[in-house]
Amino acid sequence: MSVQNTAQDEHFRAGKALGLDHLKLGMWLFVGSEVMFFGGLIAAFLHYKVNTPSPVETALLDVTLVGINTFILLTSSFTVVLGLARAQNDDRAGLMRFLGLTALLGTVFLAGQVYEFVALYQEGVTLSSSVFGSSFFTLTGFHGLHVLIGVGWALATLAKAVRGGYSRDDHIGVEIFGLYWHFVDIVWIVLFTIIYLI
Amino acid sequence: MEGSSSVTKKKSVRAYVLVFFALALITLIELLLSSMSLNLTRSLLNTLFVVFSLGKAVLVAAFYMHLRSDNRFYTYIFIIPVALLLVFALLVIIR
Amino acid sequence: MSVETPTASKPIEWRRYFRWNTDHKVIGIQYLVTTFFFFMVGGALAMLIRTELAQPGQDLLNGVEYNRFLTNHGSVMIFLWIIPVLAGLGNYLIPLMIGARDMAFPNLNALSFWLIPPAGVLMIASFFVGAAESGWTAYVPLSVTAPMGQTVWAVSVVLLGFSSIFGAINFVTTVLTMRAEGMGFWDLPLFVWGMLATALMVLLATPVLTAGLVLIAMDRLAGTLFFAVAAGGNPIFWQNVFWFYSHPAVYIMILPAMGVISEVFPVFSRKPIFGYKAIAISSMAISVLGLTVWAHHMFTSGMNPALRIPFMITSMIIAVPTGIKIFSWLATMWEGKLRFNTPMLFALGFISLFLIGGITGIFLASIPVDLHVHDTYFVVAHLHFVLFGGSVSAVYAALYYWFPKITGRQYDERLGATHFWLNFLGTNLSYLPLFVAGLLGMPRRVADYAPEFAIYNQLATLGAFLLGISTLPFLYNVIISWIKGPKAGDNPWEALTLEWQTSSPPPEHNFETAPVLSRWPYDFGEKVSPADASEASASAGD
Repeated sequence: MSVQNTAQDEHFRAGKALGLDHLKLGMWLFVGSEVMFFGGLIAAFLHYKVNTPSPVETALLDVTLVGINTFILLTSSFTVVLGLARAQNDDRAGLMRFLGLTALLGTVFLAGQVYEFVALYQEGVTLSSSVFGSSFFTLTGFHGLHVLIGVGWALATLAKAVRGGYSRDDHIGVEIFGLYWHFVDIVWIVLFTIIYLI
Repeated sequence: MEGSSSVTKKKSVRAYVLVFFALALITLIELLLSSMSLNLTRSLLNTLFVVFSLGKAVLVAAFYMHLRSDNRFYTYIFIIPVALLLVFALLVIIR
Repeated sequence: MSVETPTASKPIEWRRYFRWNTDHKVIGIQYLVTTFFFFMVGGALAMLIRTELAQPGQDLLNGVEYNRFLTNHGSVMIFLWIIPVLAGLGNYLIPLMIGARDMAFPNLNALSFWLIPPAGVLMIASFFVGAAESGWTAYVPLSVTAPMGQTVWAVSVVLLGFSSIFGAINFVTTVLTMRAEGMGFWDLPLFVWGMLATALMVLLATPVLTAGLVLIAMDRLAGTLFFAVAAGGNPIFWQNVFWFYSHPAVYIMILPAMGVISEVFPVFSRKPIFGYKAIAISSMAISVLGLTVWAHHMFTSGMNPALRIPFMITSMIIAVPTGIKIFSWLATMWEGKLRFNTPMLFALGFISLFLIGGITGIFLASIPVDLHVHDTYFVVAHLHFVLFGGSVSAVYAALYYWFPKITGRQYDERLGATHFWLNFLGTNLSYLPLFVAGLLGMPRRVADYAPEFAIYNQLATLGAFLLGISTLPFLYNVIISWIKGPKAGDNPWEALTLEWQTSSPPPEHNFETAPVLSRWPYDFGEKVSPADASEASASAGD
C-alpha cells in the first residue's frame, strides 16, 4: 500500500518547479473536460434552437424568476470566495458560516429550478413535447445535477471544517471546492444567456 | 499557498465584493433589457447579451477562480476547451 | 541499488491484484491482465463473425445475432481492450519513466481501473437482455430502437469514458508535477509524450461522447425527441457528436502505440532516436489536428457539402506528422546495430502494417474515393490495419519489451518469434483480401454476401483463425516465463530510460533514492560519463 507522506515525497515532487499544485491542476483538468461535456449538451440545445425553433414554448419561460435564481447562484459564488478568505485568515467559524450559506443558496437555486420545471410541465412543456423541451430539460437538468453535487460537496467541506479541518496553511480543499462551484456558476451564466435571453 | 500579508488579503476581499456588485448589476441590466420593450433590434440585443454573459464569466473566472493571479497554465486549460467548444457548436449548428 | 528494503525479493503477494490497491504497478498489471482477457473475448466474437462469413449464405448466425456479435466485437476491442490496455501501459510505465514514486492521485488511479471490470461485465451481460446491435458507432435511429441491451451498452461505455478521463487527469498531473529532478520536457521519454498527447485528446473528446450517450439514453428511457426525425430531431447530430469523440479515439489508440515504437527502435538499433523533438511535437500536432477532422466520416451522410473540403484537407494534413514519425523511425534504424529481439520484430511489423493502414486512410479522406468505398470492406480493412496491425502490434512489442521489467524474468525468444510470424501472417491474410472485396463493392456489416466475394472471405476467415492461434504461443510464453523464466537482470536491453535504472521488478516505491536525471534517455553510442558508467553502459560502438 502506498504511504501518502513519506519523507521521500518531497524529492519526488521536484517537478513543482513549474509552480503547479497537483490537486489544483487535477481539478482544472477535470473542469476542462466538464466544459466539453456541457459543450456537447449546449451544442445540442443550440442546434435545435436554430434549426427547429419552438417560439411558443420559448415564450413560456419565466425570465424574471430565473433571473432572480441566477442572482442567487452568483451570490453563492460570492459566499464561497468570502469563506476562502476567512479560511486564509484562520477564521474557521467564518468559513463554516459561509460554507453553510453557500449550501443554502445552492438549495434555494435548486428549489427555484424545481418550481420552474413544475410550472412548465403544467403548461405542457415537457421532455417529450418537442425537441425544445427535450434539450431544455436535459441541459438545465444536468446543470441542476451539478449544483446538487456541489451542495453535497459544500456540506462535506463544511463537515470537515466542523471537525477542525482547514487553516491558514491548509485551505486547498476549500479552494478546490470553490473551483468546481464557480465553474458550475459560469455554466449557468452561459445557459441563462443562450436559453432565456437570446 | 499565496503570499499572506493581511494587506493583500483585505485587497482581495475588496475585489471579491466589487466583482459581486458588478455581477449583480450586469444581471439586473440583462433582466431590464429583456423585460422592457426598448426600440432595439433583436440582433443588437443578442450581441449585448452575449457580451454581458462573457463579461460575467470572465469576472468569475479571473477573480473568484483566481485565474488572474494564478499560474497562466490554468487559464490555458480553461480556454482551450472553451475555444474548441465554440468551433464544435458552430459547425454543428450549420445543417 | 537496493540499500535497505529488499522489497523486490519479497514473495509476490498475489491477492493484492484482486483488491483495491493504489500502487501504480499493481494497477498497471491489473489493467494489462483484465484488458487482455477482454481482447480474447473480442477475438472470440471476431472468429464467430468470420465463421459466419466463411461461405455465402446465413448458416451459423442469423442477421440479428450477427449484428449483436459485430457490435460487441467492435465495442469490446476498442473500449475494453485497446484504449484501456494502453492506459495500463501508461500506468505501469509513466511514474517509472519520469522517476516518480507513484501517480499523482493513487486512489483516483485505482478507481480508473475498478470502473473497467463492471463496465466489461455489463457489456457482455447485455447479451442476456438483447445485446446492442447498432454497431460500435451506435448510429441513430437504430440505437434508439434497439433492445434493452443498447441501454446497458451505453452505460458501460459511459463508465469506461469516466475511467479514461480520470486516467488522463492522472497522467497529465503526474507528468507535469512529479518529474525527477533535472528532467525537463525535452528529456521526457517519447512514450510519455505520446501518453500526454493522448490524455489531452481524452480530456477534450471523451466528455462529448458522454454527452451524446446521455442524449441516446434520454431518448430511450425518458421519451425525449433528440433523434426522432418526425418531431424535428436530427440523426446527423449524433454522428457529429459520435465522431467528434471517435475520430480522436483513433489517435487515442495509436499515439501511445507510436510512443512504444519510439522507445523500442533506439534501444534495438543502439542509436539515438532520430528527430526527438519532431516526434514529440508531431504527437501534439496529431492530437490538436485530430480534433478537427471528425466529419470526414460523414461525407455520405448528407452533411453540409460546403464543409466537406475543409474536413478533407485537415484529414490529409494529419499524414504529415504521421509521416514525420515514420521517417524518423526509419532514420533511427539507418546504419544502426539492429538486434532482432521480439519487441523489435513487432516494431518492424508495426511500421509495415500501420503504413498500409495509414496510406489507405489518405485514400478514404479523399471525398471521391470515400463516396465510392464508404461502408464497404475497404473501410474494414483500413481500420483493422491501423488498429490491429498498428496498435495491437505495438502493444505486443510493449509487452515483450517491458516483460523483464514487470516480472524480473526473461521470456522465450523463440516462442516470441513464432508468435510474431503467426501474428504478422495472420494480419495480412485476414485484412489484405478485404481491401479487394471492398473495392469490388462488398458492403460491410452484413451477415451474407454475393458468391463472387467468397474467395476473399475464405482467405480472411483463415487469417482470423491464424490470429486466434497466434495468441497461444504468447499466452504460453508469458505464463511459463513469469513462473520459471530465467532471471532477466535489471536492464537486459541496456536501455537508458529511467524505468530500467531500478531493479526488476521495481521496489514498492520504484526507486530507493529519488533519481536525478543525468543524461538524455536516447544517448546511445555517445561517450558515457564516468559518473554513470557503472549503470547500463550502452556501448553501441562508434
